[in-house]
Amino acid sequence: MSHIALTPIDWTIIIVYMIGCAAAGVWMRRYVRDVEDFAVAGREMDLNLGIASLAATEVGIVTVMYAAENGFRNGFSGALPGVLGCLAMLLIGLTGFIIVPLRTAGVITIPELFEKRYGKRVRWLAGVVVIIGGLLNMGIFLRVGGEFLIHVAGLDPRATFTLFGLELGLLETAMTGLLAVVLVYTVLGGMLSVLVTDYLQFLVMGAGIVVTSAVVIWSVGWSGLVDGLQQAHQSEITMVDTHDLSAEQLQHYQQQRPAALAEKKPADLTPQDKDVIADTLPEGAKLVKMQNPFNPVQSCGGWWVLWQALLQIAIMTTWQTTIARVLAARDAGTAKKMYVRTSFYFVGRFGLPGLWGAAAFLYFTNVAGGLPLGEGSLTALPMFLGHVMPPVLIGILVAAMLAAEMSTDSGYLLTWATVIYNDIIGPCLRKPLSPKAKLLTVRALVLAIGAFLVFYGLWYKLPGGAWDYLALTGTVYMASMFALLVGALYWKWTNSVGATAAIILGAIGPLAYIAINIAVKSVPDSWLATVAEYYTVDWAGLAAFVSAFVGLLVGSLFGHSASPEPAA
Amino acid sequence: MQDPFRWFWTAMIWGSIAWYSYLLFHVGWRGGRDIVRMARSLSQNNRVHDPE
Repeated sequence: MSHIALTPIDWTIIIVYMIGCAAAGVWMRRYVRDVEDFAVAGREMDLNLGIASLAATEVGIVTVMYAAENGFRNGFSGALPGVLGCLAMLLIGLTGFIIVPLRTAGVITIPELFEKRYGKRVRWLAGVVVIIGGLLNMGIFLRVGGEFLIHVAGLDPRATFTLFGLELGLLETAMTGLLAVVLVYTVLGGMLSVLVTDYLQFLVMGAGIVVTSAVVIWSVGWSGLVDGLQQAHQSEITMVDTHDLSAEQLQHYQQQRPAALAEKKPADLTPQDKDVIADTLPEGAKLVKMQNPFNPVQSCGGWWVLWQALLQIAIMTTWQTTIARVLAARDAGTAKKMYVRTSFYFVGRFGLPGLWGAAAFLYFTNVAGGLPLGEGSLTALPMFLGHVMPPVLIGILVAAMLAAEMSTDSGYLLTWATVIYNDIIGPCLRKPLSPKAKLLTVRALVLAIGAFLVFYGLWYKLPGGAWDYLALTGTVYMASMFALLVGALYWKWTNSVGATAAIILGAIGPLAYIAINIAVKSVPDSWLATVAEYYTVDWAGLAAFVSAFVGLLVGSLFGHSASPEPAA
Repeated sequence: MQDPFRWFWTAMIWGSIAWYSYLLFHVGWRGGRDIVRMARSLSQNNRVHDPE
């Protein structure tokens, strides 16, 4: 990669924005008195600030990257989760399903509600499963964010530099620097800082998304984009994704692949050429083709669509960062309005980065002559943007994406730290901590999670698409939390035995999928490979929901409850 | 364009661009006012309660 995309004016825009945002976040520290101010902004959040905060937190660089990757592989079909999310949020906002009784209960976290209904043990177990799924989920945010910034700036993600005699990776340094800025204002100001910085980030991010979409459509043309995707699908245009190969593997592949094929554009490859490419594909590399770009059922499969529909309902009712805005709202009516008015935003959350990803596919097939060595469907977007966005606009885009990343990271750091304190540590304490000690503990947890992100992000390699990884790790807890919320709020006859069964059974399916896919890399020719072939990600996701509800119902019918009486 | 899916996605994408543009100004303006109100309310709460 030799194309450096950022000019001095772009860097100026980025630095001014970062300093302004961090300063605004730190300034809010003066209003933090206790854990309630730190975690839920003293419940003073009004409607429009709630919409801005929700929209900003739920769009991060990882969102842009996975939505764009979906667009790169599936065209507009990849944006289906956004449409389903919009419908789910709209229906929940109109009916008040889950969110009204949850807000009325006056809790800080969902596991806290479970204690009121099912007892302390269920609360603790729910907290553990929430954290396992939540941290696994968040684990890739920083790395994906770092990859975006490095690629859009036109730098080499495998590059290193020397500082005080130490050899440091450019990507890892970018990741850590970004996190440090976020940690400063999140640790000091909590949710109050998060709300104010989310607001600023909403403005910059919104402007960046609109401007980038306009530039992308202008550069490709709307008809050119739609017709090009259809043609790419029908012609089965193929590219090679070598993003996960090491430097040595890339060198070996470069030497052994047929030179004549390497110089051909993807659109010019014959069926025989594609067979040769498939036969010489190294381990860890993947073939990328455009699936049906308009029909999601043909593109992704009917079971996958069903899993996504269930998942979106679960996300809108159980995902802690989304629910945190409900719990921080002035009242249940404000929460409902916030959901209704924010719902259509989720279409663009997948659709607009998906549009960029789809355009990136056409750029690499028609203009760039295929994906560069060492790159893949996940990194195609930032490279594409680095080439098409002019100066100043790319500065605004990078500032917007930094804004998106910072708002997402701060929101999630705070959310998971609050859950760990409230639902794992809190129930184990014999004597409650003083308000000062509580606040210090939550701040320390934010720092600890930050350290985890750096190390997990450095180590873990995605087995497949980023969205499927995020959806599945989220399902580890969302399937059971959704079943328990329905039980806790609407089915008074469910009990703690059913709740425990739901939590355990709901987590087994997705964790088994993750474990099988890690294990099969070590023993590729064993029976595990057969299991992995049939136990696909959509089956694992669906199994989680079915198991959780079956566990809740059957466990409650046959179990003996020792839980306290339901709260009035 | 005969395929109904194409029309659907065209509406979704252009609708999203329009909606994001509208939200930028509408929610941006009102969100700013919410922050001012929230800061005033929190200041009053801080004066009423003794800080730790």
